[in-house]
Amino acid sequence: MMKHYTRPSVGRCIRSEVRFCGGLTVGEERKKMLTKFETKSNRVKGLSFHSKRPWILASLHSGVIQLWDYRMGTLIDRFDEHDGPVRGVHFHMSQPLFVSGGDDYKIKVWNYKLHRCLFTLLGHLDYIRTVQFHHEHPWIVSASDDQTIRIWNWQSRTCISVLTGHNHYVMCASFHPKEDLVVSASLDQTVRVWDISSLKKKTASPVDDILRLSQMNSDLFGGVDAIVKYVLEGHDRGVNWAAFHPTLPLIVSGADDRQVKLWRMNDTKAWEVDTLRGHMNNVSCVMFHSKQDIIISNSEDKSIRIWDGTKRTGLQTFRREHDRFWILAVHPEMNVLAAGHDSGMIVFKLERERPAFAVSGDSLFYAKDRFLKYYDFSTQRESQALTIRRPGSTTLNQSPRTLSYSPTENAVLICSDVDGGSYELYVIPKDSIGRGDSSQEAKKGLGSSAIFVARNRFAVLDKGNNQVLIKNLKNEVVKKSGLPVPTDAIFYAGTGNLLCRSEDRVVIFDLQQRLVLGDLQTPFVRYVVWSNDMESVALLSKHTIVIANKKLVLQCTLHETIRVKSGAWDDNGVFIYTTLNHIKYCLPNGDSGIIRTLDVPIYMTKVSGNTIFCLDRDGKTKTIVIDATEYIFKLSLLWKRYDHVMSMIRNSQLCGEAMIAYLQQKGFPEVALHFVKDEKTRFKLALESGNIQIAVASAKEIDDKDHWYRLGVEALRQGNAGIVEYAYQRTKNFERLSFLYLINGNLEKLSKMLKIAEVKNDVMGQFHNALYLGDIQERVKILENAGHLPLAYITASVHGLKDVAERLASELGDDVPPLPEGKEPSLLMPPAPVTCGGDWPLLRVMKGIFDGGLDSIGRGAVDEEEEDAGGDWGEDLDVVDVDGLQNGDVTEILEYGEVAEENEEEEGGWDLEDLELPPEVDTPKASGGARSSIFVAPTPGMPVSQIWIQKSSLAAEHAAAGNFDTAMRLLSRQLGIRNFAPLKSMFLDLHTGSHSYLRAFSSAPVVSLAIERGWNESASPNVRCPPALVFNFSQLDEKLKAGYKATTAGKLTEALRLFLGILHTIPLIVVESRREVDEVKELIIISKEYVLGLQMEIKRREIKDDMVRQQELAAYFTHCNLQTPHLRLALQTAMIVCSRAKNWATASNFARRLLETNPTNENQAKMARQVLQAAERNMTDAAQLNYDFRNPFVTCGATYVPIYSGQKGVSCPYCTARFVPSQEGQLCTVCDLAVVGADASGLLCSPSQIR
Amino acid sequence: MAGNPDHLFSLRNNFYLGSYQVAINNSDIPHLSADDAVERDCLVYRSYIALGSYQLVISEIDSSAATPLQAVKLLALYLSNPQDKESTVSSLKELLADPAIGNNAILRLIAGTVFMHEEDYNEALKHTNAGGTMELHALNVQIFIKIHRSDYAERQLRVMQQIDEDHTLTQLANAWLNLAVGGSKIQEAYLIFQDFSEKYPMTGLILNGKAVCWFVCKWIQDAKDPETLANLVVCSLHLGKSSSRYLSQLKLTHPEHILVKRASSAEDSFERALQSVA
Repeated sequence: MMKHYTRPSVGRCIRSEVRFCGGLTVGEERKKMLTKFETKSNRVKGLSFHSKRPWILASLHSGVIQLWDYRMGTLIDRFDEHDGPVRGVHFHMSQPLFVSGGDDYKIKVWNYKLHRCLFTLLGHLDYIRTVQFHHEHPWIVSASDDQTIRIWNWQSRTCISVLTGHNHYVMCASFHPKEDLVVSASLDQTVRVWDISSLKKKTASPVDDILRLSQMNSDLFGGVDAIVKYVLEGHDRGVNWAAFHPTLPLIVSGADDRQVKLWRMNDTKAWEVDTLRGHMNNVSCVMFHSKQDIIISNSEDKSIRIWDGTKRTGLQTFRREHDRFWILAVHPEMNVLAAGHDSGMIVFKLERERPAFAVSGDSLFYAKDRFLKYYDFSTQRESQALTIRRPGSTTLNQSPRTLSYSPTENAVLICSDVDGGSYELYVIPKDSIGRGDSSQEAKKGLGSSAIFVARNRFAVLDKGNNQVLIKNLKNEVVKKSGLPVPTDAIFYAGTGNLLCRSEDRVVIFDLQQRLVLGDLQTPFVRYVVWSNDMESVALLSKHTIVIANKKLVLQCTLHETIRVKSGAWDDNGVFIYTTLNHIKYCLPNGDSGIIRTLDVPIYMTKVSGNTIFCLDRDGKTKTIVIDATEYIFKLSLLWKRYDHVMSMIRNSQLCGEAMIAYLQQKGFPEVALHFVKDEKTRFKLALESGNIQIAVASAKEIDDKDHWYRLGVEALRQGNAGIVEYAYQRTKNFERLSFLYLINGNLEKLSKMLKIAEVKNDVMGQFHNALYLGDIQERVKILENAGHLPLAYITASVHGLKDVAERLASELGDDVPPLPEGKEPSLLMPPAPVTCGGDWPLLRVMKGIFDGGLDSIGRGAVDEEEEDAGGDWGEDLDVVDVDGLQNGDVTEILEYGEVAEENEEEEGGWDLEDLELPPEVDTPKASGGARSSIFVAPTPGMPVSQIWIQKSSLAAEHAAAGNFDTAMRLLSRQLGIRNFAPLKSMFLDLHTGSHSYLRAFSSAPVVSLAIERGWNESASPNVRCPPALVFNFSQLDEKLKAGYKATTAGKLTEALRLFLGILHTIPLIVVESRREVDEVKELIIISKEYVLGLQMEIKRREIKDDMVRQQELAAYFTHCNLQTPHLRLALQTAMIVCSRAKNWATASNFARRLLETNPTNENQAKMARQVLQAAERNMTDAAQLNYDFRNPFVTCGATYVPIYSGQKGVSCPYCTARFVPSQEGQLCTVCDLAVVGADASGLLCSPSQIR
Repeated sequence: MAGNPDHLFSLRNNFYLGSYQVAINNSDIPHLSADDAVERDCLVYRSYIALGSYQLVISEIDSSAATPLQAVKLLALYLSNPQDKESTVSSLKELLADPAIGNNAILRLIAGTVFMHEEDYNEALKHTNAGGTMELHALNVQIFIKIHRSDYAERQLRVMQQIDEDHTLTQLANAWLNLAVGGSKIQEAYLIFQDFSEKYPMTGLILNGKAVCWFVCKWIQDAKDPETLANLVVCSLHLGKSSSRYLSQLKLTHPEHILVKRASSAEDSFERALQSVA
């Protein structure tokens, strides 16, 4: 049936059966083909990808059709029914069908699920070259050497059209993916396009086909259903292949004239567009890529060529050494191609799909298309960071391969295969993230890998010299370092270290010490994933994962049958990784398992808890939520965190045979017990873990002999005699029971056993028991009853039972056996056991964690601290019960000190040296070697503290600089302060807090460094800011709140101390804005009011015998400017004090004022109303007070007498407290700092006041 | 550049970064040349000095030892006996005056250190300014910082950078200078210390450096050694917390610390100011 003619084409040498085993060689662009899968077989003539599954059909010259899973690399099925070569094969788009056509003139339609050929279509009269399903209609198109193209209906299994016109072999025919067209190529040197739209109309239903069948046959070769639309002439030799463009009106063809031609068509005509020259022999097959604008062709010249679809230039060539190529297939959806050749086929990719990415903390940087993108793991938001150079379509597979990121410098290194391996360095401007419009000229260089090794250093591999160049961010070489092993790639390995990869090992190399820190034999490592703490590293090879520590000490190795794609470390030290179709985990001890399956490969970037972050093949970020329970559980077991284990058992749905098997295998049968319901398994696990209680319970449930027996064995092993006995009893194993009683010395039960044996008529049992008991009479009796009279006789006589022996002897008569001679008979008695009966003492084991029930419910009782507001106040009021009256005019005469007289030396502290600016810094051109022989030491520069005081007229800054005298003078002048004693600690703290200490060179004195205020990232160096101060306004705010609180709580001395503290700090406060200055001034007034008020109240409490003075002070207190709650307390106090003293009129005034504040405390209001009622009856005052509430007044800070408006008074220049004129020149008794009535320029506490 | 491993690298590094005990523990390095052995001994003895074990150094270095070791011994003598500094200084000057050995790098380094303690920066610079070793350059940087001449310090640093930009001392000196000039440079100083802490085991010196950076930028953290303690005092003050515990601890353990001295002289100066203002 074989044909033996040679086609009339030039230079063709077909059907040679010589098999080559050629390896793939590198093309002239020195690009490696990205081979995904390869088979070795007979010549492959036909190929077809499955549209959904990772499957490919290969039809062979030998007649076999192979079905491969190219992802797993496995042969799924083979179909061997054709006789002779099978040249065409094609998968159906949606049905489990494929079609094949061979040199046996047969078209076969197969169901791959049923593993068989469904039917055969006969009609062609010569070899069939190609077959193809229609994407919609139930049609098949076939091309044959019989010069026809046929269209078949595979449902009616008939030929519905024969397309004639070619006058030589038709080498290929295929449907248009959308329109009603067929394209064909023939050795008649033409390509034809056929219009089959009429066919479509005619075959609206399959019934028509059948009806037309007879007509068809008569109509053979004269069919009108399909007509030639265009005949494309241009090739000079036979055309082997023609194919439509998936979307555009284009056709590509390849011919024996070694040319690929591109054709365009419109509704009316078709014409040649271009010719692609380059193949050195017959072009076998040519196709458009389904996604990219490229054309792929292959040829008998043993090459595959990739062409730019627009520019029509060759992009790449892949060659094989010995194998001619025959066929191509393009996957309809994915970026994968296949080619068949003389000795098999290859499935390959043109471009890598793994996006280059780098992870740093919460940031992910990755390259997509022309952009560097940024993704924030925490917000899950992505944005463009940069526009990176477009590799251009001049060459394929030049997109970024790796990315390295330096977070501190915000710099990115992108490596690609451009120019045989090169890198680009970009610095991402801070504000550009999110805008993404910034594009910059990258710094570039050659080198196959480049990574950051420190914040501002990166290493570039120079493979030729086996060294790395260390460069700075200016792309300048800083250092060169030879490498300890022949290295073809470098990876990050911590600051200053490199992980060098060679063919079969990796080493970690310290660049500074030039030392190898670690060395490990591994399969060829593709990716390196460090754990977050840099303590562990995962080395990913094609099929292997090696986990090592940072010194490359091997921890474990995992082998995968499917390609390992990516991985990331979770926070617990579990390595999560992906293969082509799974997400899996690897525990630190090497245990691994599947987390879930994957439909499409992903590239993991980070694991955070249950969330996996990844990039897909389109460079899109995705998150996948996984169930981490299983590996967390196993990890907890591994770390012996049994509390976690327990709580996980309680709270999650962990179960299944696999988990139980795992637990058993790992030696945790006691844990497995918690998962199991099945009693037999429970029993088994209980025995394994030695948990006899559970075992007994299970045995009861199961209640079969075998389990009781096994329980008995285990109980015996544990020495649990009770359970052993129970188990034996349940199985009625009397012999064992007897023996148990024997060794336990339980003679009582042993005799019972004897009885039982007797009842059961078990002679042997009886005898044994008697033997165990040492009961001779019984033994003799048993022997006698059993008819063994001689034995009975001997037993009796040996053991001295003379009566019985004689009786037996008489019964035996002549048959009395002789007694053995020369033997000393003795009675064997059961030995007395050391412990009689009972169980062996056992250590308590394994109780608690898994049996105890670990309910660790935190019972944190929150202690609520109730504020006892006013508690002290209320109590105090009740105590006031003293009658004595005294006029409170105690005026302390303070020494009238001289008010400062140093006005003339105002500028004394300002007599400053000229500021010596540092001379211009010039770069020393000469190297360090040039030493001048005459060296003049530079004069010392100005300490920062001195610079500070030059600029400042703020006392605090002078104090911080240590210039206390100028600070004091400033305070004196600005605020009239004369008493500095209370400020001492503040001065010292300011000074101490102005410098920090840096240990620099060993044994040399430490360097003190000035601490400056208002530091920010962009502050220019060498420009001194004012000193940092240890006091700030917010601290005072805190103090104020504390003061209020203490006042509320009635802790008056504490409150007074706090308010005074505020007054004592304010002179040394510096704030920034004017508004804050006002706040400070306000704070002075507030503090002053409280200090005065509190001083009066404390004084009132001290005087017990002067009721009038008490009332007066209480009354004045109500005129201090207080917070409402405090005012209420003051009013309440005054009200009570006055009521007690029967000054009803005054008291009623306080009561009214109290009610006017709308007191929230009902008791307060009630008391006030009672006072009002009482006062109404008697609106008089028992004693006269120096207090007229109708007349506005302030209280003298020293004498505590009212200074009514209109009366003369003097003020404290600092705290503004008022005093009677006699106090002028005295130290202010409120703030304790300034002199009353002194001249002062006013508070200066902000640079904004000076500007 | 590629070639022989630098045997003393980690010893030096540990010393520079303040891991003195580690330096001492790992000083037993085989196959050292005679010069390397002397350098090794110097580093070890200087580590002991840094740890305060002066007597050990004084007793172990005898008069026959090499000049560098003699110099190291002088440093130990100087630091061990604050009362009798004069005699040590004069023997130091004697050695320096000897033309045969006066130019020895270690001797000059020790001289620089001692005169820094004496606060005689002119004299210190006289011996150190010519440089010659990374250590001398680094010391120069520190002296210039001490006398508030960051311009000179920067020149020294540039020399160091030209010799070896990635040298630990270059990096350290860079950090010191960055801190001294302040402003945006503080960040760079921080990054340098951060690099160290990522690359090497954490030492007091590195921690202190980081803390100082945080400080001057008003970020606050805590740690423990004299400088850290001193900085903690400052830190507490800035946080509005009580500093007295750290201050008294520092007074107790390091009565000579600059902060203690500064604090007590500040007290005197307060009293004096009071007098002058009154």
